[in-house]
Amino acid sequence: MRTSVALPASPASRTRPQSRQVFFRKKVVPWLFVLPILLINVAVVLGPALSAVYYSMTNWSGLGPAEWVGLANFQRLAADGAFRHAFTNNVVWLAMFLTIPVGMALGAASLLAPVKRGSLFFRMALFIPYVLPSVITANLWRALLSPDRGIPAALTDLGLPGFDRAFLGSPQTVLPAIGFVDNWHWWGFLMVLFLAAMQNIPRELYESARLDGAGRWREFMDITLPGIRPTLVFMILMTTIWSFLTFDYIWILTQGGPAGASEVLAVLVFKEAFRNYNAGYASALGLTLSFFVGIVISVFVVLRRRGWEI
Amino acid sequence: MNVGIERPLRWLAVAGLVALSPLAAVLPTRAQEPAEIQMWFDTTGGSETADCIVANAVDPFNARGGAVSVRATMQANNWDATRTAIAGGAGPDIVGTPGPSFVAQLAQAGQLVPLSAFAEQYGWADRFVPWALDLGRVNGELYSVPSEIETLVLYYNATLFEENGWEVPRTMDELMTLAQTIDEAGIIPFAHANAEWRAANEWFVGEFLNHGAGPEKVYQALTGELPWTDADFVAAIEMLNQMQQNGWFMGGLDRYYTATTDERLAAFGEGEAAMNIEGSWFMQDVNAFFGEEAGNENDWGWAPVPSTDGEPSYTLGIGQTYSINGNSANPEAVAEFIDYLFSPDTQAALVTQCGLPPAPVELDPADLADLDPRHAELLGALNEASAANDYGYTTWTFWPPETETYLYEEVEKVWAGEVTAEQYLQGHQERFDAEREAGAVPPIPAR
Repeated sequence: MRTSVALPASPASRTRPQSRQVFFRKKVVPWLFVLPILLINVAVVLGPALSAVYYSMTNWSGLGPAEWVGLANFQRLAADGAFRHAFTNNVVWLAMFLTIPVGMALGAASLLAPVKRGSLFFRMALFIPYVLPSVITANLWRALLSPDRGIPAALTDLGLPGFDRAFLGSPQTVLPAIGFVDNWHWWGFLMVLFLAAMQNIPRELYESARLDGAGRWREFMDITLPGIRPTLVFMILMTTIWSFLTFDYIWILTQGGPAGASEVLAVLVFKEAFRNYNAGYASALGLTLSFFVGIVISVFVVLRRRGWEI
Repeated sequence: MNVGIERPLRWLAVAGLVALSPLAAVLPTRAQEPAEIQMWFDTTGGSETADCIVANAVDPFNARGGAVSVRATMQANNWDATRTAIAGGAGPDIVGTPGPSFVAQLAQAGQLVPLSAFAEQYGWADRFVPWALDLGRVNGELYSVPSEIETLVLYYNATLFEENGWEVPRTMDELMTLAQTIDEAGIIPFAHANAEWRAANEWFVGEFLNHGAGPEKVYQALTGELPWTDADFVAAIEMLNQMQQNGWFMGGLDRYYTATTDERLAAFGEGEAAMNIEGSWFMQDVNAFFGEEAGNENDWGWAPVPSTDGEPSYTLGIGQTYSINGNSANPEAVAEFIDYLFSPDTQAALVTQCGLPPAPVELDPADLADLDPRHAELLGALNEASAANDYGYTTWTFWPPETETYLYEEVEKVWAGEVTAEQYLQGHQERFDAEREAGAVPPIPAR
């Protein structure tokens, strides 16, 4: 005959279910919320990315089976003049976008920051180009840059020299011309971000500086720039990444022409994959592109870990 | 309650149903649903043509109420979408490709259904022009049928020619001399530009190779008997380069690269430009740029692109092919629709109602009575050239893909003075050799 003796519950046994609940709530539930997006990410980002690594070592045409070729695509890439040319164009593009739009946006934002009346209007007017689809912006500017009926024609009629030319049709001017169009839509976005960051800088700092006799330039260099440094550095990082990935404006306006003068790496990847049917080689190009972007991100991460306030 | 009898009866009924179920699957229990097949239509440049094909081919087919119905899906960048879908084991039942070289790739990858049995069943060998049908063969097996037979011709502003007393050129030398005369008169000789279709370069490269060096030499080069660096090919590319350097295409290279299609064709119709080497597909739109509809009093004419000896010559091309997707659940239904699509009646409707280039099938002239007589004349000339086996070779039909892309992209470096015609053709030879070795060159019909 078995008898049972009722023992007093120990503190440990009383808290075990509670600690399980806490563990579930803190460790499991967040993952359950993240799980759907994680699965989607694995399906549409991680999976294709890993398959690109595999295909970069094959001669896959984009159809049918792929044959393993090892590092042959990367060897080809090292000797490919088109790759070097496209990479050089990307570097030129990067130089344009790290200077012109950033400078324009900083200038406009610091001028607009003290403006109270009508500031919303200016912000909206400068931001609107950013929300226009690239295909519309590009075709609009294609017409506006026409040497026979666009802005260059009007300036030529006014007697200004140097405008009787098709800026998108000359190998010497095509890349700056596309850069101009892309910048037209881009710099307003930068300006709005910088303006928002500037408006978070305490006004007292400017007042103190003025009392100390600082001028606008001194204020900008010693208060504004340090005050928006995290935003500025982040946008420089993003601009660098996007400059390597740039594709849409170039493809819509010139498809890399004339004579390859506006060809950048993303255009080369597209052509190899969808025009020349060298999907394996295109994957190798894409991986190389990712490698460059990875270097930029790594530098950013390392600097942050070393205590840089960026 | 008679449980002892009921339970075995139940089991007997179940066993009977199970035994009869395969039979039930094949016996129609109600009116048979038609087999639905999918066809994708390209809408990249607008959906008007696609809508017209649906109205004149798909809808009448479905209205017959047969055992097959076609579901039309509009698709931008149709070919890229189709390739991607097929690679993923899906895609439309009817696969349209931009030309025979793409069929070879798909067929070699096992992604298309062989068509020889259907060709025999429907008698396609008697319906299609033999050389065009043979272009769809890969290692002897038929994988595609040809659609849209095309050529390039010299369109000219007939009013301008008449006013200035210019003769339509018959030889390449006459063409050069006339272009010089037109240029000196302050008129743009050719309404050519590639801003909206960079591959337009290949129209001119292809025409100059075929009409400058001659189609026989192109045939020899395509079959590997002659190098692409032959002196006649070099001379042809140099002649084209000379025209560009003279600014005869829209007034200069920069204009050639930036003028839109509407701008160049408006210039042609208005008489600011005198000539235009373009495909037979332009017949569909040419009247929009001339006469009352365009707000001018000009008229147009066409002539074969001049040749070296002055004899009329046409480069022939296939604008599109149709195949059956290897992933299709119902290849027989697809074949039935393809047969309908390429029937002379349907093709005549597509030509007259949609302005499409016809497939290489024989059409009844009575069915084309509504066509502009100049268009009908061109179709007749095409048929004659095709039947006589005396034609040149369009790059998008007879060239392998990578070599074709090289041909139209790298020629801009010749025009920019970065490479010579010889260097350009040497690079062309290297790509052609590589693709020929890989079996990517479409089957070239014997001359």
